[in-house]
Amino acid sequence: MMGETEAVEIDDILDDWFIESLKSYKDLHVYQLEHPTQIIEWTSGKTVCVAGYSSGKNEILELRLPLRLLADEKKGLCAERDFKVVHGGFSEGPVCCLRHIPGTRCAVTNDGLTSDLQLWDLGADDTDVIRKTGSLPGTSVSQAGSRITARLSSPPQVLHGAQSSGVQLTQLSTGQTLYRLEVDSTKPLSSLKFVSETAFLASCCDGTVYLADTRTSAPPQASPPPGECALWWTDASAASQCRVIMLSSSGQAVVSDLRNLGGALCQAQLDVQTSPRKPEDVTVAWAPALDGCFSVSGLSGLVQIYDTARWRAELQDASPLFQHAGHSVSSQHGDGSAPIFITTHVWHPERPRTLLSAASDGSVHVWDWVDPQTN
Amino acid sequence: MPEIKVTPLGAGQDVGRSCILVSIGGKNIMLDCGMHMGYNDDRRFPDFSYITQNGRLTDFLDCVIISHFHLDHCGALPYMSEMVGYDGPIYMTHPTKAICPILLEDFRKITVDKKGETNFFTSQMIKDCMKKVIPLNLHQTVQVDDELEIKAYYAGHVLGAAMVHIKVGSESVVYTGDYNMTPDRHLGAAWIDKCRPDILISESTYATTIRDSKRCRERDFLKKVHESIERGGKVLIPVFALGRAQELCILLETFWERMNLKAPIYFSTGLTEKANHYYKLFITWTNQKIRKTFVQRNMFEFKHIKAFDRSYADNPGPMVVFATPGMLHAGQSLQIFKKWAGNDKNMVIMPGYCVQGTIGHKILNGQRKLEMEGRSTLDVKLQVEYMSFSAHADAKGIMQLIRMAEPRNMLLVHGEAAKMEFLKGKIEQEFSIDCYMPANGETVALTTNPSVPVDISLNLLKREMTLGGPLPDPKKPRTMHGTLIMKENSLKLVSSEQALKELGLNEHQLRFTCRVQLQDPHSDSDTLHRIYTHLKSVLKDYTIQHLPDGTVMVESIVIKVSSSAEDANAKVLLLSWSYQDEDLGSYLSSLLKKGLPT
Repeated sequence: MMGETEAVEIDDILDDWFIESLKSYKDLHVYQLEHPTQIIEWTSGKTVCVAGYSSGKNEILELRLPLRLLADEKKGLCAERDFKVVHGGFSEGPVCCLRHIPGTRCAVTNDGLTSDLQLWDLGADDTDVIRKTGSLPGTSVSQAGSRITARLSSPPQVLHGAQSSGVQLTQLSTGQTLYRLEVDSTKPLSSLKFVSETAFLASCCDGTVYLADTRTSAPPQASPPPGECALWWTDASAASQCRVIMLSSSGQAVVSDLRNLGGALCQAQLDVQTSPRKPEDVTVAWAPALDGCFSVSGLSGLVQIYDTARWRAELQDASPLFQHAGHSVSSQHGDGSAPIFITTHVWHPERPRTLLSAASDGSVHVWDWVDPQTN
Repeated sequence: MPEIKVTPLGAGQDVGRSCILVSIGGKNIMLDCGMHMGYNDDRRFPDFSYITQNGRLTDFLDCVIISHFHLDHCGALPYMSEMVGYDGPIYMTHPTKAICPILLEDFRKITVDKKGETNFFTSQMIKDCMKKVIPLNLHQTVQVDDELEIKAYYAGHVLGAAMVHIKVGSESVVYTGDYNMTPDRHLGAAWIDKCRPDILISESTYATTIRDSKRCRERDFLKKVHESIERGGKVLIPVFALGRAQELCILLETFWERMNLKAPIYFSTGLTEKANHYYKLFITWTNQKIRKTFVQRNMFEFKHIKAFDRSYADNPGPMVVFATPGMLHAGQSLQIFKKWAGNDKNMVIMPGYCVQGTIGHKILNGQRKLEMEGRSTLDVKLQVEYMSFSAHADAKGIMQLIRMAEPRNMLLVHGEAAKMEFLKGKIEQEFSIDCYMPANGETVALTTNPSVPVDISLNLLKREMTLGGPLPDPKKPRTMHGTLIMKENSLKLVSSEQALKELGLNEHQLRFTCRVQLQDPHSDSDTLHRIYTHLKSVLKDYTIQHLPDGTVMVESIVIKVSSSAEDANAKVLLLSWSYQDEDLGSYLSSLLKKGLPT
C-alpha cells in the first residue's frame, strides 16, 4: 500500500480564497512547523526565530527566509521557496517571549510562568546549535511572564518586567541592574517598547501607559486608560512623528501622539469577533514602512490591516484595508477540533507589505499583500 | 562484533550526487550511482577507487540498487557498469527501468553533441548497462543470493521512486533515496512498515528544510500564467512527458474552467506519444484514488487543451503551450522558444532542473543573449520563471519516517557534521537512537547487536533452575553450560548428554592424576586427617569430605595418602580429578606441594 493519506483533489484547492489570492497577494508561502509557535522574532533581515510553548521541552529554531521571497529582480530565476533551519536549540520550558538583542547573536527568552529570563547564544556560521548561556532573575513574584525589549547599545542591555513595578534595565554580561522604573502600582504589563535610545513605553494590560527614560530616576509620565475596557494592547511606531496606538479587547482603537498620550488624535471601532481573555492572545503592530497602517491579530481569527489615514476624532466603524484569512482557510482540522487562532504576527522591517504570521496549528505564513486601493 | 559499514562516495562537501556503499553481513551493495551535474570533468563521477584501485567492480559488489531516474541518482550508472566495469545485478523498479535509458540518452546527447565531450558513455553502453537490470516490484522480497535479500517500498517523489530495505541474516538497512511524506497530486506519500532496520539512511538536507506547501507553488504557477495571458502574452512550458506535465495540465484545465478563460492551451504531439506510454506505466504504480483522477481526466479528453500544430506558434494573441524536450535543448520546445523569446510579454516556465549545456540552463542562469547555430544571437526578452514542483520530505517528514520504520540508528548523508549538532541532538532525544553523519568519503562502522534466536531444551532449563540462584533476568545475564547444535537454519542449546545421544557419540571422561611428595612423619591416616583439616580451612566454599575408605574428596577430586617407599618420613599424595575440575585440581596440587601447616 502506498500513501494512505488522501491526495487532495484539484477542485478542492481552487476554492474561492485561493482564486482570490492570485490577485490579492504578490507572494504567499505556507509552512507547517512540527510544533506551533507563539513568537516570531527577527534576528537579521533574512532570519527569524520561532519556538514552542508546550509545558515540557521545546525547540527554538532560527529560520532563514526563502531565497525567492528576498530575490526581488532575480525572483523569477530563483526556485527556492523553503525555510532553512539554520540554528536550533532546546528549552526546558515553554518560550512565550523571545527578543533578539540588536548588534549581537544573543537572544533573551521568558517562559510566561515567572519573570526570570533565559539568555541564549544563537550560534555562528560554524555551528547549528542555539545554546543557553545563562539566566537573569526577574524582580516580581508574578504568575505572568515578562515583557522584554532591547535596542542597540554597547554593552548590550535588556529592558524587562512582568509588572509595572518590576521593570528594569539589565546589563547582559554582568547582570547588573542599570535602571528601575519607579512606580508604586503592580499592574501586569502587556508590552515594553523603546521609543528612542533611552525613552520607553511601559504599557499595562489595564490601559495605563507609562512613558519613562532610563537616564533619569524621576517618576514617569503616566497616562490613564483611554476607555472603559479591562484589557488593552499598545504599540508605538518608530516613525519620526511618533504615534501610539492602543487597542482594547472590545476592538476600540485609539491613536495618539507620544508627546500627548492622553489626547486621542483619532479612533475607530474595529471589526471584532473574538473576545480574547489573555494578554498574549493579541498582537498589534504599526507597519514599519507604511505610514499610518497597523496590523491586528487575535481579535478575529485573521490578521487584519487597517489604515488610519482617514480616521477621525469621533469613534466610527473602521473596515480593514486587508485581511489575511490564510490560516483558517488552509487549516486541516476536522469538525470536532477547536478552531485555530493566530498566535502572533510580525512585519518585515523594510519590505512595506511583507508579514509573517503563525497560528495554533503550527502553520506559519509569509505573505506580501497587494494594496486593494491600487487596483 | 558484527558491523555494518556505510560510506557515501564523493569528495568534500559536495551534495550534487548520490552514491553510497554499504557493507552488511559480508555483502557489498552500491546504493544509487549519480552524476554530479555541476562538474565538467571526472569529478562528476563517483570515486570508485574506494572499492578497488583498478579493475572491474564485479568481484567487489554483490549488487547495485537505483532508487529513481533522476540523473543525480543514476547518471553515472553506464559509466560505472561499462567503462569501469560491473557485470553483476542492477536493481530498480519497473518505471525506473523504463525511464532511465531515455534520460540517460538525452543527457548523453547533450553532453557529447552539444558540449563536445569525449570521456563519456555511448548509446551502446546505455543499452548494455540496462541489460543487467533486474526490475523490482513493490513489497516483493527479492533474493539477490542465499543470504542477501532486498525489498522496495513506495517513496512518492517521482514515478517509480523507491525506498529500499536490505537484509542479510538479522541485520538490515533501509535507504530512502528521495521521498516525500505529504501526498502529491499524482503520487502518494512514502510508506514503510515498522521494519526496525539497524540503520535508516537518508539525506541531511531534508532535515534542515521546512517546505513551502504544494498549494502555494501551484498558486504561483497559475498566477504567472494568468498574468501573462492577461497582457496578451504567450507561455511556453517545456516538459518531459511524465507525471508533472499531466498534473500541470489538469491544474490549468480546472483553472481555465473556473475562471472561464478563453485563451487556447496546447501540448505538442511529441508529448502525446510519450504520454500514452508512460501513462500506462504510471497507472499501475499509483493507488486507486489517484488512478480514478487520471482515468476520469484522460489526457486526450481535456476540454481546453488541444494538440499543437507548429503553425499555431505564429498565431496572434495569448496561448499556453506544453512542449518537449524539457530543457529546451532541441526539438519543438526550442523552436517555439526561438519564436517567442523576443517579446517581453511572453513567458517561459521551467518546471525542473536543466543540465549544463542546454538553453534551459543558460536562461536559468540569467543569460539574456544566446548564441544560436550559424553564429546568430537571440535576445531573450521574455520573462523566465523557474519553478520547482518536485516533492521532497522536510524536517517534519523525516521525523515521521523515523516513527514509521523505527530504526535502531539514523544515518544522514551530504551534510556537514559540525553544522548538524542540533539535528543530531533532536533525533537522539526524540527517539533515543544514535545519529551518524559521515562526510563524503568517510566510513561509518556501526556495531550491531543482532539477536540470534536459540531454542533451549526443557531439560537443560530445568537443570539450570535447580542450581538455584535468582530467576533469569534479561538485564542480568547468567553463564550457563550446554552444547550448541546448529542444524540447517536453527540453533538449539541442549545438555551434553542429549547432544551426545543425538549425535550418536559415546561420552568419554578425562581424568588427571598427580603425585605430590610431602615431608610428614605422621601415620598415613593422620596425614590424611591433617590434609582434610587444612583444606577445610582454606577452601571454605567447597564440599570437602573425609571418606571412610581412606580418601579425602574435594568436589570430584580424590586425594589418597601413602607412605613413600624410599623415605620413611615422606608421604606420597595421589590426586586424581576429572577434566571438569582441572582448575581446582591444579590449584590443590600447588597448594599441597607447599606443605601442611604444623
